[in-house]
Amino acid sequence: MSEISRVIIAVASGKGGTGKTTIASHLALAGSMKRAAILVDLDVEAPDSFGYFPAAAPLGPPEAVSVRLPTVDAQRCLGCSHCAKVCRFGALIAIGGVVTIDERTCKGCGRCVASCPAGALIEQDLEVGETRAARSGTLVLLEGRMKVGDIRSTAVIEAAKKRAERSGVALEVRDCPPGTSCPAVHALAGANYLVLVAEPTEFSLHDLGAAIELAMSLHIPAGVILNKDGFGSADVESFCAARRVPVIGRIAFDRKRAQKGVAGMLWQEDQEMMACMDAVLASADTAMRFCVPAEEGGKP
Amino acid sequence: MTIAVASGKGGAGKTSLTSAIAAAFGESCVVADCDVDAANGAIALGALPWESEPYFAGPGFSIEIAACIACGACAEACRFGAIRQRPGGNSYAIVPELCERCGACVDRCTAGAIVTSEKEAGRLFVSDTRLGARLAHAELLPGEDTSGKLVRKVRERADRLAGHEGIVLVDAPPGIGCPVIASLTGTECVVILVEASVSGIRDAKRLIELAASMGRKMVAVINKTGLDTAMDEEARAAVREAGLPLAGEIPFDPSLRSAEERGMTWLNVEGAAGDCVRAAIAALRSLVDSYGRR
Repeated sequence: MSEISRVIIAVASGKGGTGKTTIASHLALAGSMKRAAILVDLDVEAPDSFGYFPAAAPLGPPEAVSVRLPTVDAQRCLGCSHCAKVCRFGALIAIGGVVTIDERTCKGCGRCVASCPAGALIEQDLEVGETRAARSGTLVLLEGRMKVGDIRSTAVIEAAKKRAERSGVALEVRDCPPGTSCPAVHALAGANYLVLVAEPTEFSLHDLGAAIELAMSLHIPAGVILNKDGFGSADVESFCAARRVPVIGRIAFDRKRAQKGVAGMLWQEDQEMMACMDAVLASADTAMRFCVPAEEGGKP
Repeated sequence: MTIAVASGKGGAGKTSLTSAIAAAFGESCVVADCDVDAANGAIALGALPWESEPYFAGPGFSIEIAACIACGACAEACRFGAIRQRPGGNSYAIVPELCERCGACVDRCTAGAIVTSEKEAGRLFVSDTRLGARLAHAELLPGEDTSGKLVRKVRERADRLAGHEGIVLVDAPPGIGCPVIASLTGTECVVILVEASVSGIRDAKRLIELAASMGRKMVAVINKTGLDTAMDEEARAAVREAGLPLAGEIPFDPSLRSAEERGMTWLNVEGAAGDCVRAAIAALRSLVDSYGRR
């Protein structure tokens, strides 16, 4: 089969706080030693990966992310309220033939605009967030950041994905949001390989199960990193074996690592960690040799 | 009265703190686990479900292959990249995980090939717990959207259980997006749980900004102190600068983790860490009471 010229590894978990950002940052760092790499922070509600690289130099100004939202041209509006009827999000309200638009709930799908018989809905850009890029050594950093108070996280995620694609960098590592609903789905879509970060707690296992199901429905091959090994006694290994997902790395819990983690310091000199990252990159390469990229609609 | 526990960052200890507060309130309280796509309240509280109902997110769309004329108008209309050509190119398909269910494609399809279908997107549960508090919770199926809508359903169910006099404790999801906004809406007080870490503090600041814009009253609790004294100080400074009362600090201590594995909440842990939890919850209760009276 053909060589995959661009590799996208997504790092996700289901549960928050298991170490996604830590793993994604170190994975990108390990990858950047051998090829051009970009770390893309898609946890746009709580982007934290830049925190690991305080000395990174900005690459140009932030780029605004906008969605196209309708406004009503009162001169042209016939007051038919057809727009309010077609809106599935309840974002348009017609009272007595006067249409008002709730720009907080509008998703910018454009259905109302296309269906208005009078052409009275005019679209304008509304900023919902931004993307920022920076460089730390050979590693390129990119983050999506949703505006506080907005709910259109998926628009920011998609914009960050596009900007990463434009960069054309050979290895892309995505730091994904927690959970398994829309933001996580958008962050995972198009990835060639998924690294799931689990900790040995019942909470983490429960959410890992949901994340594995999501990976399967998106046809993305996945492997699990057992992080904070020894911190709890839940059996991640058996859980993964039962679901036929390989455990591709183990990182033992230790107080020093926890201290570095809270202080936002990289563990580059931590040989066990960096060896684990190299092993994960190798696992991803192996898995991808047997799979068609998800974006092309293939199944493993 | 409704109190939400939120943190911005995931893994800051929301569910653990919520469970400990629920243990302190006992039977008078109902927990609403609003982290519907990573719901751990049932595990933390030892839930015994006695009622469950299906959750429907609203009709979704799919394309009938036989009717599709492969004109591509639907894919052009879709702004979310959810419609793709099937292999072979003779028809199109909707990727359900990416579909926002707006229906823009339906209006554009001249062949009438796009049909709506309703399927279960999750389940809503009501449970008793071993703590005495009751629990309203849900399981959103992986890959489903509309978590904000399901959060509202969980909240409604919890409100009904609690009645006028009861206390509802909302365990909010991480982040600051739509399920978080749905979790904070209509609450009398938000407990901002700040993890004493670079990312914990940064995420808490974004959450505080959101809660303030919604006009919420807030109380802070700092978690995982003692790992890095400079970080502890930064967390305190962030709370001070935001003008929030600080109910207490909980140290990073393995005894809290191991107590949970034995089926206990933080409230009943012996020793210094447990004392910090009890002191924080006592302070929270008196602060929250004063908000409730106003």
